[in-house]
Amino acid sequence: MLLGDSRSGKLADNITEFGRALRRAGVRVDSARIALAAEAALAVGLEAKADVSAAMEAVMVSREQDRLVFRELFDVFFRNPEVAQKLLSQLLPSAEGKAEPSKRRPRVREALSPQKAFGHQAKPKEEDQKVEFDAAMTASDLQRLKHADFNALSATEYRLVERLARDVRLPLPYVASRRMRPGPAGARLHWSGVMRHAVRTGGELMHLPRMQRREQPLPLLVLVDVSGSMERYARLLLAFLHAATRRHPRRDVFAFGTQLTDLTPAFRLADTDEMLAHASAAIEDFAGGTQLGESLATLRHHHARRLVGRRTLVLVITDGLDTGEPQALDDELTWLGRHSRRLLWLNPLLRFDGYAPVARGAAVLSRHAQGMLAVHNLSKLEDLAGSLASLMKA
Amino acid sequence: MTPFPTIDALTQALEAAGYFADRRLATAVFLALKLERPLLLEGEPGVGKTELAKALSLALQREMLRLQCYDGLEQREALYEWNYAAQLLHMRAAQALHEPSSTPGTGGPDHVGDVVAKMEREVYQARYLIRRPLLQALQTPAPGAVLLIDEVDRADEPFEAFLLEYLGEYQVSIPEIGTVRAGVIPVTILTSNRTRELNDAVKRRCLYHWLDYPERERELAIVRAQVPQASSALSAQVAAVVGKLRSQPFANAFQRAPGIAESVEWAKALVALDTLAIDPEVMADTAGILFKQREDVAALTRDMATELLKPEEAPA
Repeated sequence: MLLGDSRSGKLADNITEFGRALRRAGVRVDSARIALAAEAALAVGLEAKADVSAAMEAVMVSREQDRLVFRELFDVFFRNPEVAQKLLSQLLPSAEGKAEPSKRRPRVREALSPQKAFGHQAKPKEEDQKVEFDAAMTASDLQRLKHADFNALSATEYRLVERLARDVRLPLPYVASRRMRPGPAGARLHWSGVMRHAVRTGGELMHLPRMQRREQPLPLLVLVDVSGSMERYARLLLAFLHAATRRHPRRDVFAFGTQLTDLTPAFRLADTDEMLAHASAAIEDFAGGTQLGESLATLRHHHARRLVGRRTLVLVITDGLDTGEPQALDDELTWLGRHSRRLLWLNPLLRFDGYAPVARGAAVLSRHAQGMLAVHNLSKLEDLAGSLASLMKA
Repeated sequence: MTPFPTIDALTQALEAAGYFADRRLATAVFLALKLERPLLLEGEPGVGKTELAKALSLALQREMLRLQCYDGLEQREALYEWNYAAQLLHMRAAQALHEPSSTPGTGGPDHVGDVVAKMEREVYQARYLIRRPLLQALQTPAPGAVLLIDEVDRADEPFEAFLLEYLGEYQVSIPEIGTVRAGVIPVTILTSNRTRELNDAVKRRCLYHWLDYPERERELAIVRAQVPQASSALSAQVAAVVGKLRSQPFANAFQRAPGIAESVEWAKALVALDTLAIDPEVMADTAGILFKQREDVAALTRDMATELLKPEEAPA
C-alpha cells in the first residue's frame, strides 16, 4: 500500500492529492474534510486497506451517488497515484463541478476503467453503444435518439421570458404549513412575545401577540413532453418555467419523450441559459415519440420520493399523443393520482376547435387529470404562460 | 470518548447488543466515536438505521434520547422552550410581594429599569427552562447520551438550521441565558430515508455512511438472532428469498423491496404458522408481511414464488 508513513508526512501529502483528485472527479471535498480524512485514516490504523478506505469514505463522501466514484478512485489511486493522476488529467480536463450527478458517475467510471484507460475514444464508443441500444430497443420507429439543441436565449427572448415571469404570476396553490410565525391572524399565543411584554409591564398582560401558520406553496412536479409534436414549444416553455418558478422552494422537473430525463439539477442553476445548456445535454430523446406510460413507470421506480407526502402538484404538459400501451398508462396515472394532491394537464397542441380527447392516450389522461386545459393555436409564449396560470387557478 | 480500542471490539460489542454491522459500517461508527463527530446514516427504509442507535446506546451503556423529525418541527420541540405558565406565576407572585414598595410609577425611570432587569433575571432562569432532546443530550451527566435524530429528511429545511450549532460545536445558544455546552459529548446519529437531499451545511458537520441491505450471511445472522425459534433451514430460506426479492430480476416487479424488519417479521410469522419449509402457498398467504402495498402483494404471483423458491436448492 502506498499510503505512506505518517512521520514523514507522506500520508498527509497523499491524502491531500487524493482529495484533489476526488474534487476533480466532481465529489465536493473541502480542505477541512481532507484534514479530517488524514485524522480518520490514522484513527483506524494503516494496517488494513479496506478499513482506511471505509474511514476515508465516511469522511469524504456525503452523498450516496459519490460512493462508487470514491471507491474506484481510491483503489486506483492508492495502487498507483501517478497513473490515476494522469488518467484524470487526460479524461477529465475540466470536470465541471456543476455537472449533474448521474452524468458524472459514468464519466468517472469510464475515466478509470482499465480497458479505456489509454484511448481517447471513450466518447465515440459511448455513441456506438447508444445506437446499438436504440436499435435493440423497441419496434417503435418513432424513437430516434437525438440531443436537444436549445440555443441560448436571444436578448429579446430573454427580456420576454423575464417579463412574463414577472408579470404572469403562476398562482401556485399555497397551503398552511405546520410552521408558525408571529402574526395577527393566529389563534395561538406567541408565548415568548407575551413574556417579553409582560416582563416590561411587571407581569401585567397588556398585549397578547399571536402566532399564525406560515403559508407555503405545494411542492411542484412538472413533466414536460419533448417529443416531436412538442418540439416547437419545449425550449421557451422550459425557459419560462425556470424563470417563473425560480423562488419555488421545491420543484422537480422532468422531460419525457420515449424516456424520462431529470431536469431538476439543470433547473437548480440560476441562469436560464445555463439551464438550457444543461437540459440540452441531458435530454437524449428530443423530438422523438411519446411514451408517457413508460416514462411514468421510470418515475415511479426511480423518483417516487420526489412526490412529497401526497402534497405535490403535478403538472403534465403534453399533447397526449401517446404511442404506448393505454392500459399501462392508465395504471401509472392511477398511481400518480394517488400520490399527489392534484394532477393538471396542459394540452398545447390543439389546432382544432372541436377538440375532444379521443386519442387513446389523451382519453386516459383526461380521465385522470383533475384539471385540463387545451389551448388552441398556441404560438406565443404569452399565451402559454397565461394558460398555465389559468390552469392553476382552475 | 470511545471505550472500544479497535473496530473489532466495537463490532463485537454491537453484536452482543444484537446488531450485526459490516466492517465499513463499524469503521464509520468507530470514527464517529473517536473523532467525536455526528454520524449521518442514509439508506432505504428497513435497513437498520434506527436500530444501530439503539444498539449503540446498549453497547455504550448510555441513555438514548430520540428526536423524531416531522414536517414543521420547531426549535421549541427540539431544543428548548420556556415554561411560560411558571414564568407568569413567578411574575404575579413577585408583583404581589413587592406591591407596596415597587408600584410602577413611584420610583424614577432608573428605578423602573432596575425592576425590569431584575424581573428578567428572575423569570429567565434555568429552572423555568423545558429541555427538549438536543439540550437534554448536552446536559446528560456521564457517561453521556446517545442522541438519535431520526428521519431528518422529514423535517423541513428551516429546521436544519437549528441543528447546525449543535452538530458543529455541541452547544446550544439560548439568548436569555447564554450558551449551553456539552458536559459529555453526546454520540449523535442522524438518519435519513433520502426523501430529499439534506443541506450541505448539515452534511459537512457529519460523517456519512450509506447503509445497504445486508448480504445474505449477515441477514441470516440477524434472523437467527432475532427469531431463535426458527429452524436454521427456515432462516436460511427466508434470507435467501428476501435477498432475491431485492436483487435485480425480481426487484423491478415491486415498488418497495422488503427490509430487514420485514424478513424478521416474516420469519416470526412462519414460526407462528408452524411452517417447516416455505412453499409457494405459504408465501402467497404471508405476502402481506413482506410487502405493504396492494400492488406489490398482487405482483407476487404463484409462478414468481415458485421461481423464488426453486433455484435456491439448485446451487446449494
